[in-house]
Amino acid sequence: MVKDILRFKNSILSGSLIIISLFLFILILFITLYNAQNADFTIQFDSRMYQLLKFTIYQAFLSTTLSLLVGLLLAWSLAHQSQFKGRKVLITLFSSSIVLPTIVVVFGIIGIFGRNGYFNQINLFLFDISFGSYLYGLSGILIAHVYLNASFAARSLLQSFESIPKEKYKLSKSLNFSIFKRFYYVEYPAIKSTLMSIGSTIFLLCFTSFAVVLLLGGSPSYNTLEVAIYEAVKLDFDITLAIKLAFIQITISAILVIISSSFQIVVSNLKASSNIIFWKDSKTVQLIQWFIIIVFSFFFILPLIVIIIDGIGSNFLQILKDTLFIKSLYTSIFIATISSIITGIIAIILSATMRNFTIRTRLSNKYISKFLNLIFLFFSNIYLAVPSLVMGLGFFIMSQTYAGSEFIWTISALITANILMSLPFAIAIINPLMQKTAKRYDKLSFSLGLTTLQRWTYVEYPYIKPSLGYVFALSFCFSLGDLGIISLFGSDEFTTLPWYLYQLMGSYRSTDAAGVALILLILVLTVFILLPKLFRNKIVKNN
Amino acid sequence: MRILFLITILSIFLIANEIKPTLTIYTYDSFTSPWGPAPKIKQAFEKDNNCTLKFIGISSSIGALRKIQLEGKKTKADILLGLDTSIAEVAKDTNLFIEHTLNITNLNLPIKYEDNIFVPFDYSYFAFVYNENNLKNIPHSFEDLINMPKNFKIVIQDPRSSTAGLGLLLWIKSIYGENASNYWKQLSPYILTITKGWSESYGLFLKGEADMVLSYTTSPAYHIIEENLTNIKASSFKNGHYGQIEVAAILKSSKQKVLAKKFLSFMHTKTFADIIPTSNWVYPVTNISNELKNPFKNLYKPSHMILTNGKIVQQNRKDIINEWLNAIQK
Repeated sequence: MVKDILRFKNSILSGSLIIISLFLFILILFITLYNAQNADFTIQFDSRMYQLLKFTIYQAFLSTTLSLLVGLLLAWSLAHQSQFKGRKVLITLFSSSIVLPTIVVVFGIIGIFGRNGYFNQINLFLFDISFGSYLYGLSGILIAHVYLNASFAARSLLQSFESIPKEKYKLSKSLNFSIFKRFYYVEYPAIKSTLMSIGSTIFLLCFTSFAVVLLLGGSPSYNTLEVAIYEAVKLDFDITLAIKLAFIQITISAILVIISSSFQIVVSNLKASSNIIFWKDSKTVQLIQWFIIIVFSFFFILPLIVIIIDGIGSNFLQILKDTLFIKSLYTSIFIATISSIITGIIAIILSATMRNFTIRTRLSNKYISKFLNLIFLFFSNIYLAVPSLVMGLGFFIMSQTYAGSEFIWTISALITANILMSLPFAIAIINPLMQKTAKRYDKLSFSLGLTTLQRWTYVEYPYIKPSLGYVFALSFCFSLGDLGIISLFGSDEFTTLPWYLYQLMGSYRSTDAAGVALILLILVLTVFILLPKLFRNKIVKNN
Repeated sequence: MRILFLITILSIFLIANEIKPTLTIYTYDSFTSPWGPAPKIKQAFEKDNNCTLKFIGISSSIGALRKIQLEGKKTKADILLGLDTSIAEVAKDTNLFIEHTLNITNLNLPIKYEDNIFVPFDYSYFAFVYNENNLKNIPHSFEDLINMPKNFKIVIQDPRSSTAGLGLLLWIKSIYGENASNYWKQLSPYILTITKGWSESYGLFLKGEADMVLSYTTSPAYHIIEENLTNIKASSFKNGHYGQIEVAAILKSSKQKVLAKKFLSFMHTKTFADIIPTSNWVYPVTNISNELKNPFKNLYKPSHMILTNGKIVQQNRKDIINEWLNAIQK
């Protein structure tokens, strides 16, 4: 056995080092949090904490159910309307929803659905009724969550729908299945696993959701655990309370992550595949499908349009000259670049290690391999268990107790958090690909005696290059639009674009805010669409 | 040769700026905005004292205190300006401030206030502000508020981060006492949102998102004088108004204590008092120059100020806030 392990020493070593350092980091985080408490370590479960927990779970559950429902309907409609003009563009737009900065999305949603938003204004003008302020509170949180997650769910589910072999549809058509029967027998089995994994991912995202609840929750009445931690630090300076909440948060998130680790996150690529289903449904059903597509596209595009309209009206020269804006822009881009590069590298190294444990030609028949694989997966997804505010709290306390300039601590905190935030998605994309290359080329590479460098240059890199571009774009955009840790560390001295936008939104300068929101949106969309193009292979990829 | 000349000039310039000490003041954001008091105060103070006055604005008044606590030993603040007497005793507990050693007995305050650490510099009365073009049925008491129609919305501030929010909490507590929790439960459906600081909530009100905002009796003066608008008004409440006396204090960690003390005494000069009414839109604590018109001449001024003793707030703050949190939690 030792001989076998030595064969793969390079890949195992580097991956293990990373996992061990991650583990140590989490350990230090825990120890710091534990030591920072002045009182005894007794978590008194008072009624407020119970309420917080109840609300956090409740809104996560509702958001997940609604997102899955909407996403499923949309994916189903799109799957059966496989040929119309602009379909590719629409699907690309939907898949970009995952990188849209939450704060920008919320800003757009407020612009439409807020009390003074366009929706109410139009209703007032035409029908003289105003729907009042339904946006702040639970409904606002649900709307924002569905917006962000349903499109992501739809995109992933659509891929599952399109992977159903045509023959099954042929069969169901010849058996004259109703749409319900067809769904139950043909489609549901195919999408079930995706549904589970997407569902658990969305639940975790909504459970640890910060920016949405902060901006639309509206008041301490609608707080989730994350926001309560933020408020305990920033408003009350009650670090003990913050730590208590953090521990509750970690415990529950960790349990959820362990449960859902068995479902791998399924992330689909930008490109829309075109598996055409030839047999259209009845006219009524088609009408329903079209209705769903149009309504959801409308709902999805409107906030973006609002941002564009409101943003164009703002004074760009004034914004661009503002020193704080320039500082934020520079800082955001700098941090995003560094963290996306490191994320890519870590994802590759970890995948290289993990495939040792799952491939037959390597070590997968050892007993310990499956267990190690799970550990690696768990640590790649560690961000979902230790969400941004908790990590921020740990970093904050560390920066207070240990030496080091505030600047270095802030940058380390941001970069670490951004890397860990993108890692689950990066691994979800790179890992399957590297497994494929190993399965395909292992025997050949070993028989040719390729060194690691040669193997990387000729075998791995060309194959994963396009996805690598997608990973870079994804983590760059995640980092660019994040409003998590920066909320604890942000100041006039250290600011990022989302933080700057948050400050603008909270003061008189709403026209400036619209301008900055537009700039941020354009930046994110440009990077997300153009960066993968840089990495595209000139030869046609064969799968 | 020319480069050497340029470098010499540059270094002289830099050194010259180094010689002038910098006094850093942490305060709430509306104080430091371009249309707030800070620019004029900066100009006036720097003229008579060879120094640079730097204002750092934070989005909420108590938030400025929290920021100093968060920064710990590395804070650059010399003065914290913008807390009020309700939160002052709590702030004293942080042990971050030193005594000012000034004589503050002869100030124009509606109630007597003396403290060895905190120095008052302006005051006002809390009130709910509305737009009379949009709101026809005006509430004039807290009972009226909870009897408004269902779609009536107010925006208030968080008492943990905003002195205005804390003011409302204490105002309601002073009127309802034991039944305050019950009152908040009834008020809760009318609250549109609870913002961290005053400026965010006032911005929401001006945008039309809410019918009323918790602000000051003197807020309308801004719209009358700066915008020539008379439709923004403050509602006079039958049972009296809670007040706010804003204070400032010197940080123990400050390296410019002498300069800071000079600033605190500067806050009681006519120059300062002339600036405050039309930039911070509240009452100054010393007399303004005779030539200036009183901008609050036609505004409603409550006959007396309800103010809870700081010590009582300090002892009961956590309980009052927890009671409030439990009452509004959905």
